[in-house]
Amino acid sequence: MTNSKVCVLGAGSTKYGKLNESIIEIALNAAKDAIDSAGITPKDIQAGYISNVFGVADKQVHIAPVIMSNLGISHVPGLTIESACGSGSVMFREAYANVAAGFYDCLLALGVEKVTHTGTVHSTTLFSYCSDFFYEGGNGASFPGLFASMARAYMHTHKATEEDLANVAVKNHENGFLNPKAHVRKRITVDEVLKSPVVASPLKLLDCCPFSDGASATILCSEEFAKKSGRPYMEVIGSGRGASPAAVQGREDITTIPSTVAAARQAYKMAGLTPKDINFAEVHDCFTIAEIIDIEDLGFFPKGKAAHAVRDGATRLRGEIPINPSGGLKSKGHPIGATGVGQVVEVFDQFTGNAGERTIPNAEIALTHNFGATGASAAVHIFRKVDRK
Amino acid sequence: MMEKLSAKENTREKFIEAANRKKILAHKCTKCGHLMLETVLYCEKCSGSKFEHAELEGSGTVVTYTIQAVAPEGFEDVGPYAWVVFKLDSQQLRASGFLPGVKTPADLPIGTKVRVNGFDSKHGLILQK
Repeated sequence: MTNSKVCVLGAGSTKYGKLNESIIEIALNAAKDAIDSAGITPKDIQAGYISNVFGVADKQVHIAPVIMSNLGISHVPGLTIESACGSGSVMFREAYANVAAGFYDCLLALGVEKVTHTGTVHSTTLFSYCSDFFYEGGNGASFPGLFASMARAYMHTHKATEEDLANVAVKNHENGFLNPKAHVRKRITVDEVLKSPVVASPLKLLDCCPFSDGASATILCSEEFAKKSGRPYMEVIGSGRGASPAAVQGREDITTIPSTVAAARQAYKMAGLTPKDINFAEVHDCFTIAEIIDIEDLGFFPKGKAAHAVRDGATRLRGEIPINPSGGLKSKGHPIGATGVGQVVEVFDQFTGNAGERTIPNAEIALTHNFGATGASAAVHIFRKVDRK
Repeated sequence: MMEKLSAKENTREKFIEAANRKKILAHKCTKCGHLMLETVLYCEKCSGSKFEHAELEGSGTVVTYTIQAVAPEGFEDVGPYAWVVFKLDSQQLRASGFLPGVKTPADLPIGTKVRVNGFDSKHGLILQK
């Protein structure tokens, strides 16, 4: 029997940053928070959906059964899903689909990553394996380099400036400063961004998200299961997936990400909503240019206008469409297997009164957007707060 | 411009062999005429699988690029360089490669002419201005 409505009943994250624990311990800490948040016990969990990219860097692949075994439910099937930096949202989509199809009434959807112990140079190299390596990483492009090429194309086409990009970083650090779990809790200025060392021109260090360790977890369940719990929850009302040419060279327009456009179109259609109905969004800002492109591709601003909107404060916490209240990948951090799930955790925290000073008053509809690599794969989800009164 | 090419099994090997002759190897769908890089196995437009080999002059113009200040492993010792997306002359097809010796954006305005200058196992498709 299918489940016509799928809900998020619990959510939890570790702090993002440089963490000393093993990848499994990091994952278990987030799992425990999500289980407690949902008011369930592991025996309620019927499956484990786990997103992770570089488990091998901490000497652990086939990570899902190890997590399930350490939750004391070794008989519960788990699987691991990899889609580069979009792993979390792509996994969440598959978890969602399996509850909707009626295979499960309650499951754990968890993302985890641990890379900082490998050092910046090796992490840069590992991440470059997420590109279309024959054409990109193998020709000397790092991920900052690939997004820098997109930034240069955008700036050339839409007459945007490096200062426009810096405004995104400043805004996200303002939000992340209010997030106790953020990796980089530090307010920054436009001047500091512009004067930070160049990583891959035109992008500078403070245009780039950090390499982070961390885990985020959610409990997904049927509406019936959620209602029985008597606890606050939110409903998944839109879900979309999209794809783009794996290599940047394959895109006719380098200032847009086709996978985002396709995933958003599906999610809006399913939810019966338009961008104007969204109260806030968590989007994939691995680099400042990515957020500019995202918020146009998601329909919040016309093409070429996002930089002006950011400059005018439209995307700030008290702006017309707050973007990345959590601090985003830029400030909260980017443990790549966990990031897409972490966005869902932020929405859950916002809807359940756990976002502290970041709280967006009266928010009831929110969108998450997360992609892999330069957008070769993407997923968009839309959530509705369920009023328990 | 288009020549028949001796067949080899491995598409990447064929692409590399052509790059070493300063060419970009593409193939053209015999069903719909769409042109793609050699490494794509089915037509992006019609899913056709029969192609005519097309060996294109490895010259084009810069669409976008970055200058990698922090290089990935294997590229730390090559000095300043750019990773470049370029559009092949007289085609809609784009490719990307490694262009050594680029220090500042003033060295490489968008639209600059570049050409393929070989392929090496360490740095991939090598470009020159």
